[in-house]
Amino acid sequence: MKYFLQNLLKTIPVLLLITLIVFLLVRVTGDPVSLMLPETATDEERESLREALGFNDPLPVQYFTYLSDLVRGDFGESFRYNTDAFALVLERLPATFELAFASMIVAIIISIPLGILSAVKRNSFLDLFITGGAVLGKAMPSFWLGIMLILFLAVNTQIFPVSGRGGLLYLVLPAITLGTGIAAEMTRLIRSSMLEILGQDFIRTARSKGLKEALVVNKHAFRNALIPVVTIMALQTSTLVGGTLITETVFAWPGLGQLLVQAVNLRDMAVVQAATFLIAIFVILSNLIADLTYRLLDPRIKYD
Amino acid sequence: MVEKLMNVKDLKVRFKTEDGHVSTVNGVTFNVNEGETLAIVGESGSGKSVTSLALMGILPPNGEVYEGEMTFNGKNLRTLSKKDYRALRGNEISMIFQEPMTALNPVFTIGYQIRETLIVHYKMTKEQANIRGIEMLELVGIPDAEKVMGRFPHQLSGGMRQRVMIAIALSCNPRLLIADEPTTALDVTIQAQILTLMRNLKEKSNTSIMIITHDLGVVAELADRVIVMYAGEVVEEASVFELFKNPKHPYTKGLMASIPKVHDVVDDLYSIEGTVPNPTNMPSGCKFHPRCPLADVECKRIHPDLEYVSEGHAKRCIKV
Ligand SMILES: Nc1ncnc2c1ncn2[C@@H]1O[C@H](COP(=O)(O)OP(=O)(O)O)[C@@H](O)[C@H]1O
Ligand SMILES: [Mg+2]
Repeated sequence: MKYFLQNLLKTIPVLLLITLIVFLLVRVTGDPVSLMLPETATDEERESLREALGFNDPLPVQYFTYLSDLVRGDFGESFRYNTDAFALVLERLPATFELAFASMIVAIIISIPLGILSAVKRNSFLDLFITGGAVLGKAMPSFWLGIMLILFLAVNTQIFPVSGRGGLLYLVLPAITLGTGIAAEMTRLIRSSMLEILGQDFIRTARSKGLKEALVVNKHAFRNALIPVVTIMALQTSTLVGGTLITETVFAWPGLGQLLVQAVNLRDMAVVQAATFLIAIFVILSNLIADLTYRLLDPRIKYD
Repeated sequence: MVEKLMNVKDLKVRFKTEDGHVSTVNGVTFNVNEGETLAIVGESGSGKSVTSLALMGILPPNGEVYEGEMTFNGKNLRTLSKKDYRALRGNEISMIFQEPMTALNPVFTIGYQIRETLIVHYKMTKEQANIRGIEMLELVGIPDAEKVMGRFPHQLSGGMRQRVMIAIALSCNPRLLIADEPTTALDVTIQAQILTLMRNLKEKSNTSIMIITHDLGVVAELADRVIVMYAGEVVEEASVFELFKNPKHPYTKGLMASIPKVHDVVDDLYSIEGTVPNPTNMPSGCKFHPRCPLADVECKRIHPDLEYVSEGHAKRCIKV
């Protein structure tokens, strides 16, 4: 726990840096005033709105104001929705978590058996098939996969709804779309990790004890093979977040990703900043959790 | 009671490699009698480990027994079903390996790894297996056995890990224990302790032991009978007493001469010139002839049979 808290403290400078980068990026891409006012507005009207919103202050002053609001939990108001940006972002969070969670489940269900199988049957036709599938799954753009799934399983056959969020049925296609790329990456990782472990001396020992091969592979080997997989997967959380942006847009899934894409297009600064801040926290937290899991899985690592 | 517990006849093992099939055990014949300790000696690469893995039925995926017989306690190991073979492994035949540092699974406790065998073969409950596990650790001389049950392998020294391996191997009272160079990877003082431990176990139980080593000191310490292996073949077989007193094969004599004597400086140490031939490029005739001081044209041509020179003493050489 002490270890966890220490690491949590270390993330504060990272978060500060992220706020700065996002703050600057949002400002170099142009101010939102022109989008907020009707096209017929005069230059004076634009200028006075700019002044009122503080865009004419020097950048350091703007950043400082932004930061001091932020520590009070105030991310500003959305231009578009005229409500508190942070509340808007929080409201979208459950939908994104639902999608991310379902995608991870899809990825785990696919990758663990396939990764183990292709390692056990290395260099066989089956292995070739699985490895080839993994390359394909990784190379396939997720928006394309999403559109194909919609086309064949929603539009043509009407098994699943085309878009939106509702019951479990709505979740299936987006989860497959987002989960496939992760599954492909995990399959590859599990395969190579298992291959390395299966050649170790302690696997021979396990066999010499008269254990069933399934126990040797799924317990003695897999528990060891999982250690590097967990670490590398945790570093992929950012890929997962990136994936939600695309998947949510394709499926009109009302999550954080969709909101963020819209906000960027509309230069809805407060929402962009609130959303990226939350995503950053999420990525950092998941890395911390992965680190803890790693320590739990590998008794050779000491807490210090 | 079967006198010959393990019977190996003309055993041949090959591996599938990039250069096609490579045969590394080429017709090995020996037996291990009930209650005796048989030593298998020979330089690195002569096929000792491969022979023992073949007997255990745990050759690596690219290896196979392609000829010969292996009979254990009247059961033909070559036709045994996977399930029946599993029931023997770790139970009636068990094995300890050369590398104690890597032979135990790093992510499970010692307790888990010792209980596992007992639960599989004796259908014990976790509690029963725990009690028996602690007993076994105590038997092999591990202090604080109860605490050690909860430790992970990396928390123990090499010598302690080898003791744990021995405890696991003996936990189901095997009839045959195969020990593949159990002391080679250890410090000299620890080697002596492990040898003493094995000696005590041998004296206390009726377990047959097949000890593999390239150290004739270990042979003298433990064995009743010895077979000497060279390039995947048995080149000499004799009782320990007979072998040390009256070695026949030039290879065996070479091994004897390379035992360090107390007064020897390392530089003077005799060693047999050359190396064990590569299985892909075996010499014709007698496989030892390129390194043999007695070799002549005959030896290049004739591959000698294993012949008995006296009761229980056999050699594979036409010159002696
Ligand atoms: N998995 C394998 N694939 C190919 N060759 C192997 C394999 N394992 C062992 N060998 C070969 O078998 C021969 C005998 O090895 P081994 O039995 O380990 O010798 P040792 O007498 O030192 O125990 C060596 O030439 C080795 O290279
Ligand atoms: Mg060996």
